[in-house]
Amino acid sequence: MDFLKEKLYDTFVVDDRWTYLTNGLKITLIVTFFAALLGIVLGFLTAIVRSTHARTHKLPILNAIAKLYLTVIRGTPVLVQLMIIYFVIFASFNVSKVFVAIMAFGLNSGAYVAEIVRSGIMSIDNGQFEAGASLGLNYPKTMIHIILPQAFRNILPALANEFIVLLKETSVAGNIALNDLTKGGDIIRSATYEAFLPLIAVALIYLAMVMILSKLVTLLERRLAKRDRG
Amino acid sequence: MIEVENLKKSFGDLPILKGISTKIEKGEKVVIIGPSGSGKSTFLRCLNLLEKPTYGKIFFEGRELTAMKERELYAVREKMGMVFQHFHLFPHLTIRRNITLAPVKLGLMSQAEADKKAAELLQKVGLSDKADSYPNQLSGGQKQRIAIARTLAMNPDVILFDEPTSALDPEMVGEVLELMRELADEGMTMIVVTHEMGFAREVASRVMFMDGGYIVEENDPETFFTHPQNQRLKDFLSRVL
Repeated sequence: MDFLKEKLYDTFVVDDRWTYLTNGLKITLIVTFFAALLGIVLGFLTAIVRSTHARTHKLPILNAIAKLYLTVIRGTPVLVQLMIIYFVIFASFNVSKVFVAIMAFGLNSGAYVAEIVRSGIMSIDNGQFEAGASLGLNYPKTMIHIILPQAFRNILPALANEFIVLLKETSVAGNIALNDLTKGGDIIRSATYEAFLPLIAVALIYLAMVMILSKLVTLLERRLAKRDRG
Repeated sequence: MIEVENLKKSFGDLPILKGISTKIEKGEKVVIIGPSGSGKSTFLRCLNLLEKPTYGKIFFEGRELTAMKERELYAVREKMGMVFQHFHLFPHLTIRRNITLAPVKLGLMSQAEADKKAAELLQKVGLSDKADSYPNQLSGGQKQRIAIARTLAMNPDVILFDEPTSALDPEMVGEVLELMRELADEGMTMIVVTHEMGFAREVASRVMFMDGGYIVEENDPETFFTHPQNQRLKDFLSRVL
């Protein structure tokens, strides 16, 4: 027992090592939050372009750009994308690593969100488009007021899953020397030559965040399901 | 009010409408009957250009729909209501919002005005107590009555009915037909695709028989049902009556 206490003290308390974890957690949360936001915006825009083109044959140029974006992002590993953005694209600029990480993970997540949203739009019965049109609502109005609210609700579980994946994927940000949660645990490991405790602590923190996120989604789903009770 | 000139429509290589010409005047109640696959629903859906005609012209209140830009077409559709076989209510909105969505989002009414109109319409269709329900909480007949109220909220000049009772349980057909009869009595111009021969006989000012992509015969209901001329119509009536 004393042995464990000593180990815990050594790992987390000496030199305020626990701050590596709290500061890292802060970075991880900031990167995840803003990357998710960027991913949602990019994903919805891309999905709307793609499904508008599929339905009306409009926006051919934007559709081609969207397809290229999806192919490149989904065809290459996120770590490689992160390193290219940091070491190649922003090589000669002095930008913050947090910003680079947000851009890289947001761009990456956007591609996956786009496919999720597109499947959501395709899941809506064509009759909903026709009902909108027959009332005089044009395509954008039908999309915004009729299709997307229903699609959003259908894809909520898949979307939540994507953000859980995103949260965990940010753990590779240490590769551009960003001190996120994972990197924080690793710094403690290399300072104490003790791997077990810091890495388990890191894992538990990720697990707790994912469980909280899942709980929030369940609550939201339940709220949205209210209207189905007959 | 509506004029159709040599309308043709194909899906890929499959011709559905092979040349339809007709004229529908204000206040008319035209009922279209015919075997399945005869093109009657496609014809109806061409009238508000939910289906794009392959050939021919459609005029509505003197303006050619088939030559219009998309934007003008949406404005015309505000005046051409449509009621669908499967209702197509918006499941994520309350009944009240189903009715008020289009007039409000199109800037025709404020939310308060639209709510007032919705209350009147709900009274008319006998579903005042359902304003805050969601579509999935309603029976089929109630859904269709709401769909009709939703269309009426736009103050249309004509309403197109695409088999409005075909998806309903038999005991719910009556309530919808009753409402349609009421609209007819009030002078609404109506074009109805249906299999309800009783409704056609009693409410129609003109009955059309479609078969194989053509209007084969059209007449007032009395003559249409008691003295059919065309052999195919005679066969059809002998099977359904």
